Amino acid sequence: MALRAGRRLSWWGLLVPTVLLYALIFFVPLGVLVGESLRAGSDGPLSGVNYSAFFSDGVTLGIFLRTVRLSLLITLACVLLGYPLALFMRRAGPALRLVALAVVVSPLLTSVVVRNVAWLLVLGREGMVNTLLRQAGLIDAPLPLLYNTFGVVVGVTHVYLAFLVMPVFSSLLSIDPSLEDAAASLGASRTTVFWRVTLPLSFPGLIAGTTLVFVLSMGVYLTPVIMGGSFVTTLPMVMTDLVRNQFDWPRAAAFAIVLLAFIALVLGLSSRAERRIERMRGEGM
Amino acid sequence: MPDNKRPLGLIVSVVAVLVMAFLILPQLILLVQSFTAEDYLSFPPRAYGLRWYAFIFEDPTWRKALGTSLLVAGVVTPLALVFGTAAAIGLDRGPVLVRKAMRTALVSPMVLPHVVLGMAIYRVFLPLRFDDTLGGFMAAHLVLCIPYVIVTVGASLQAFDRTLEQAAASLGAPLGVALWRVTLPLIRPGIVGGAVFAFITSFDEFIVTYFLASRQTTAPIQIFSSLSYQLEPSIAAVSGLTLVITAALSGVLILRGGMTGKGAIA
Repeated sequence: MALRAGRRLSWWGLLVPTVLLYALIFFVPLGVLVGESLRAGSDGPLSGVNYSAFFSDGVTLGIFLRTVRLSLLITLACVLLGYPLALFMRRAGPALRLVALAVVVSPLLTSVVVRNVAWLLVLGREGMVNTLLRQAGLIDAPLPLLYNTFGVVVGVTHVYLAFLVMPVFSSLLSIDPSLEDAAASLGASRTTVFWRVTLPLSFPGLIAGTTLVFVLSMGVYLTPVIMGGSFVTTLPMVMTDLVRNQFDWPRAAAFAIVLLAFIALVLGLSSRAERRIERMRGEGM
Repeated sequence: MPDNKRPLGLIVSVVAVLVMAFLILPQLILLVQSFTAEDYLSFPPRAYGLRWYAFIFEDPTWRKALGTSLLVAGVVTPLALVFGTAAAIGLDRGPVLVRKAMRTALVSPMVLPHVVLGMAIYRVFLPLRFDDTLGGFMAAHLVLCIPYVIVTVGASLQAFDRTLEQAAASLGAPLGVALWRVTLPLIRPGIVGGAVFAFITSFDEFIVTYFLASRQTTAPIQIFSSLSYQLEPSIAAVSGLTLVITAALSGVLILRGGMTGKGAIA
């Protein structure tokens, strides 16, 4: 009994330092932000004016919707590039798998600033792509690869691809190959097997991956600043500008809370979709 | 691979190789360009040398920024390990309900947009005059790094056989001794992985530090502010150096992962 009591005390004891630290540097700041968002101007009375500004100031809602569109484009790019890679990794041997895995996570382990510098060197006017294309005689003037939506989608897809490939890969690994063999032996072509068996069975990973990529893309700041020039504006850029240049804390805080609420909503819908698929599968068996 | 003889398999392989090139090429181009000996960045460089690496080690601004980054990451990593490992062990032992809720709360800094976190921390540190200080950077980075330690150590703990620790306790070892002598050595892979992630996260961190920094800078902040003038070879050299440091550390991780994580991958 004494041993047991000691144990119970100890798991609390082990958690307490981290919980206190989080309270000071994570939960309290987020709470302060919520409080700030409910004030009309600094030190003003309680009010929802900053939240209504989000929808009615004529600019913010448009930027929010453009951020959603940008995130959808990034998610689409990740699916188109990432799904084939995950299929390839499923078939590859252990050594090749390890190499592919290292390649996929390498952008994640590289600083966001360094990655953007690298892309400037690749896509810039005098960058690698334009230089090679010009030397090959394929173009006369440099292509506009930077300072537009294309550049931002490329830069963000480069790093978030890992978040799509990993869950899809693990979903594909859990598929029993005998299901595909059965479909093939019943006369389905390889294409049919893919569309009717492999793809549907990988939906849980695909949903998890696309959700993660979409949600993370909603918070992107630096890549649009560097690779979008002043031509791509995201909600996080607006929030940062409000804080750093206009010192309009209440508005920036309200926009941050709206962003958090939207992300929570997307995560909630996604986990519901995943549960529904599991249930369907349960009934099918 | 027999699959490659079929058209669909071939297409998948070709796309996969192109995607892998897309993922790794920019970092390689950056490394090549950082060794330019010219005054300006051009592709491909006409002459190679260590000229700009020598420059960043002599230039006081770059030296200070790199030094700050190393110092902050060097202090944050062991602290994150202590907090994160203790928390992961605590989570592993708590009642199931508490465990799930607490874990979600403690790893949430990973998925929360860092812009929001940066704003929130800045808002609290600003009136305390803690924003533009190394201590402030360290405190903020700590919250970003601890989740990685909780995840990696947590994964190690799942594979850990608790009866070993109970055996030590039943032989008379106090719980602290059992933890220190039995549990910790057995979850070392998770701790090493957590250390690597924590160091890289702190060393590479941009947006939260960007909110806090005005006079103090770290390497990523300094690279960003220099970008507003021109893309100089010195920027490529600092970026190249940062890349080499993180790549070396992740190399350790991937090689170890290759030995211990094969079961998970295969």
